[in-house]
Amino acid sequence: MLVIENLSKVYPGGVQALRDVNLTIKDGEFVVIIGLSGSGKSTLLRCINRLVEPTSGKVLWDGRDITAANPEELRAIRRQIGMVFQQFNLVKRMSVLTNVMAGRLGYVSPWASLLNQFPKAERERAMRCLERVGIADKAHVRADQLSGGQQQRVGIARALMQEPRLVLADEPVASLDPATSHSVLKYLEELNRQEGITVLCSLHFLSLARRYGTRIVALKGGELVFDGLPADIDEKRFKEIYGEDAIEVEVA
Amino acid sequence: MGMDAARTTGKPKSPGAEGHPAPRPLAAFVRTFLTFLVLALVLGYGWRVTQINVHDLVVNVPRIRPLVRDLLSPDVLERKTEVQTVRTPIYVPCAGGQAPASASAAPGQAYLTLDKPCMEPGQTVRVEGFNFRPSTPGFIRWIPANGAPHTLDRIRTDANGHFAITITAPDVEPASEPHHVEAEVQWGVGLPYPSEALVITVQRMVETVFLALMATFFATIVAVPLSFLAARNVMPRNPVGTFIYYVMRTVFNALRSIEPLILAIVFAVWVGIGPFAGVLALAVHSIAAVGKLYSEAIEDIDPGPIEAITATGANPLQVIVYGMIPQVIPPFISFTIYRWDMNVRSSTIIGMVGGGGIGFILTQWINLFRYRQAGTAVWAIAIVVAIMDYASAKVRERVL
Repeated sequence: MLVIENLSKVYPGGVQALRDVNLTIKDGEFVVIIGLSGSGKSTLLRCINRLVEPTSGKVLWDGRDITAANPEELRAIRRQIGMVFQQFNLVKRMSVLTNVMAGRLGYVSPWASLLNQFPKAERERAMRCLERVGIADKAHVRADQLSGGQQQRVGIARALMQEPRLVLADEPVASLDPATSHSVLKYLEELNRQEGITVLCSLHFLSLARRYGTRIVALKGGELVFDGLPADIDEKRFKEIYGEDAIEVEVA
Repeated sequence: MGMDAARTTGKPKSPGAEGHPAPRPLAAFVRTFLTFLVLALVLGYGWRVTQINVHDLVVNVPRIRPLVRDLLSPDVLERKTEVQTVRTPIYVPCAGGQAPASASAAPGQAYLTLDKPCMEPGQTVRVEGFNFRPSTPGFIRWIPANGAPHTLDRIRTDANGHFAITITAPDVEPASEPHHVEAEVQWGVGLPYPSEALVITVQRMVETVFLALMATFFATIVAVPLSFLAARNVMPRNPVGTFIYYVMRTVFNALRSIEPLILAIVFAVWVGIGPFAGVLALAVHSIAAVGKLYSEAIEDIDPGPIEAITATGANPLQVIVYGMIPQVIPPFISFTIYRWDMNVRSSTIIGMVGGGGIGFILTQWINLFRYRQAGTAVWAIAIVVAIMDYASAKVRERVL
């Protein structure tokens, strides 16, 4: 169970990205975060694994306070939390396989990993993760040779490599076309349904959020303005979240 | 600049633009005229102070012909030569009563004939040679009764080993002893072998390439750590970090603005003339040049992979090795090879002021008027620079 208590973030420039956010996520949920650009979705996700340090508030995971963890504890927590990014964030010049194995860096011997040496078992695990997302044949291709959709699947395989209990997905399909978006989200859905991995995913399109989320939370100006079931978002709620002039756009 | 001004003022402004009436034609004309007048004065002064002299440029073309000819026929290969020399006496002036030297010779042996046995200074004489080695070039020389011989002309024998040439007797002191006319033909035997100039050139060229390599190597070692201090995204945004960042930037810019040529003069005084001075001069300049490029490459890093690797629970060293180094290695290698290439080019110039290498020997040969040897060095530089240029472009293409 992930409990977020009174979480606030003020960036050095004075921008208040999060304002007193309270949220409890049960294991096995597929929670979609919606909101306009700049509403604090990315900051919220990054405060959970502390890629961004929260200004105040707590993040508790199974009772452990992530926000109070020392660097070593934090790395142990991070390796159980996979993360998928809008821009995929692969190391472009490395092979797909090496990118996937990089997901295991928190587990393997640090010194061997610095020389790019991974045990055979880890290589096999990486191949299984790639098979899982259907691109095992690309294992030895350089990451930047792949299409956007393929790169995001490598990103998912890298997260899978961590054997995560929680996956944070920061707009994972915002750089992809609608058809590819569905294929990528289906892989996340599969992990959620089959392995019981909790997924916390920010999305732009409400139609995608309704389709994949078991629960939707909405941020506006850094504040939590909605928390409920996909079916609960009607016209009135929609305009509250996205502003009076917004028109809902469907993704095929 | 003046041209631009002239163009803008000369162009008619669109009429009726509110508050901007079209300039009166006279004012526009005066401004254009003044602009051209200033331009003409500036260029005229420049013409005078740089002592431009078109007349000399055109008239003195013949002066550079031997130089260009020597440069274009570099001293590269040598062969052992054999010579065939025949001389015959001639009296200058005619004293009377002197019998012409016998022109007879054993059958098949080379000999010379003259159309007169004696002559007055300034007169011409026809020299013919027989039974020389066929189709072979050579020289015709005048050997005074007392004094040093000197070459009068070039000859070339025909297929029968015969040549004929008319020479003018040089202005010589009258003597009772006979002078001599000498014909000599030369031909190469055996396989060609590298000339001394070529051997020296190759040695010095190797020295130059390694001079550039060592300079680049030292520069890289120093510049890599310094470049991180000059990268905005690495230095913390506190007063200390900002201060170091600006100091490093300033040092790089200041060092870069000193010509390697001047540094070479300084180091030649410091450690003596030779390649080591060249290494130091190029290294100091290169630290600044590559340091700036490296730091810009670091600033161009995509923070995404760093974030992603951090999120997997990797330790800071693993983040650097997996997130950062793969991104900076290719530009670092590319800039380093490019710098080596540039240093090879610079080191030829550096050598001229005492930095060792090919430039040093090239300067010496030029000062001794040994233009064929200088030509060898010039060609070697051109070839090596072209190869380095091509190779470095290829390598950089593959790395990036």
